[in-house]
Amino acid sequence: MMRIASGVFVSLALAAAAAAQARKAQTVNGLQTTVTGVKLMEKAGLRDCPPGTNTVNAVQRPGDQLSVVTVAFKVLPDFKPRPPGTMKRPVATAADGTTYNTSVQFVDVGSVPEYSCDFVYRVPSGTVLKTLQIEDAKYDLSALDK
Amino acid sequence: MEIDRRAFIASIGGPAAVALMDHEAKAEALEHYMEDKLDEMVAAQQPEKFPTVAEIEAQIETRPFRRGTGSVFTGSRGQNVKLIEPMPDKPTIQDFFRLRFAPANHVLQSATRAMKTGMSEEIILACLLHDCVLSLIKPDHGWWGAQLFEPYIPEKSAFAIRYHQTLRFYPDQEAGYEYPDQYYRIFGHDYTPPKYIEDTYKMLKNHKWYMEPRLVTVNDLYAFDPNAKVSIDPFQDIIGRHFKQPKEGLGYDSSPSAHMWRTLARPDNPL
Repeated sequence: MMRIASGVFVSLALAAAAAAQARKAQTVNGLQTTVTGVKLMEKAGLRDCPPGTNTVNAVQRPGDQLSVVTVAFKVLPDFKPRPPGTMKRPVATAADGTTYNTSVQFVDVGSVPEYSCDFVYRVPSGTVLKTLQIEDAKYDLSALDK
Repeated sequence: MEIDRRAFIASIGGPAAVALMDHEAKAEALEHYMEDKLDEMVAAQQPEKFPTVAEIEAQIETRPFRRGTGSVFTGSRGQNVKLIEPMPDKPTIQDFFRLRFAPANHVLQSATRAMKTGMSEEIILACLLHDCVLSLIKPDHGWWGAQLFEPYIPEKSAFAIRYHQTLRFYPDQEAGYEYPDQYYRIFGHDYTPPKYIEDTYKMLKNHKWYMEPRLVTVNDLYAFDPNAKVSIDPFQDIIGRHFKQPKEGLGYDSSPSAHMWRTLARPDNPL
C-alpha cells in the first residue's frame, strides 16, 4: 500500500515538474513569454496578439479539433519594436512531427505591457501537441496538452 | 459564481434604489440576479446552432427587400431610408468613403491590420476597398467591386478584390485563413459554394497571384471588432500613390464603371 502511494506521489511530482518546466518563461525579441495552458475548444475566438475584441470564431468540424495554446506575454525594458509583419506566427508540432499553423498574427506586440494570447490550431481529432515554437524559442507542450 | 457588485447594483436601479430596499428585497434581488447570470453562463456554454441553407431560404419572404440589395437602398433594421447628403460636383474616393461607404469600419480595420502586419501597398489598398461595393450590391461583390475600382487602381489590387470573394470559402492553414463561423450563420452550415466559385478556386490555386486575394481574406477575418478605432487618415498617402483620381470626379470620367459611381451618388433616382 505504502509502495503504491509513494509511486502515485512520484508520478504526480514528475507531472508537476514537467508542467512547471513547460511553463518556464523564455525571452523572444524583448518579450517574456510563458505558455500557460493548452485546451480543446468547440469554438475559438480569432483574435490577434495582443488580442482585441474581434467577433469572428473558428468552429470545430467533424474529424478535427481546435487546440488552443495560451501564452502570456510581458514586454521587457529592452524591447525594441521591429518592422511590421516580421514576427512570425507561432507553429505547433504534434507528437508525430506534423506541424500546424495558426491564423493568429502578432500585431503591435509592444503596445500593451502585459497580455495573454490564444493561438488556435485546427488539428485532426485526437492529436496531442508536443511543442510550440515562437521565433527561436521552443516550448514543450507535452505536459500541458492532455 | 463571482458577482460584480457594481453591475449588480446598477441592474437593480443604482445605490438610490438599493437604499430603499429592505434586507429581504435585497436578498431576493441578488438571487434573481444570480439566476439570470447562471442562465447566461449556461447559454454561453451551449454550442451555437447554425441555420441550414433551407432555413435561410425560408426567410426570403419575411423581408420587404432582397438580401442582395446594396446598403444605400435600404433602411437599417427595417426602418425607412433617410435623406442622404448630395455628393460634391467632382467627388473623390474620400468623398465616397465619407458620404456613401460610411462608417466603413470593417474595411478600415482590415486595411489597418494589413498595414500593421507589413503587407504591400497594393494589398493594403485592396483591403481598404474590398467590401465598399456592398453599398451598391451584395451578390458577387468580389466581381462587382473589382469592376467598380478597376479603372483607378493597380491590377494586383483589382485581382485581390475580385477573388477574395471566392477564397473566403476555402480555408488555408498555411496562409492563416480559417473558415469563419459567421459564414455558417450567413449561408447555412450545410452550404457548398456553387460550381462557378469552385472553378474559380481551382484556377486561383495555380495562379501566380494566389496570395493577393488570399491576404485580403486573412485580414478580412480579423476585421470584425466592434471596439476598434479606425480612420481613413493613415491611408491617404497610399490612396494618393495608387488611386488614379479622375479630374472630372468619380462618375463623370467616362470610365467603364462611371455609371456605378453615379448610381452610388444618386440612389434615389427613379430611372
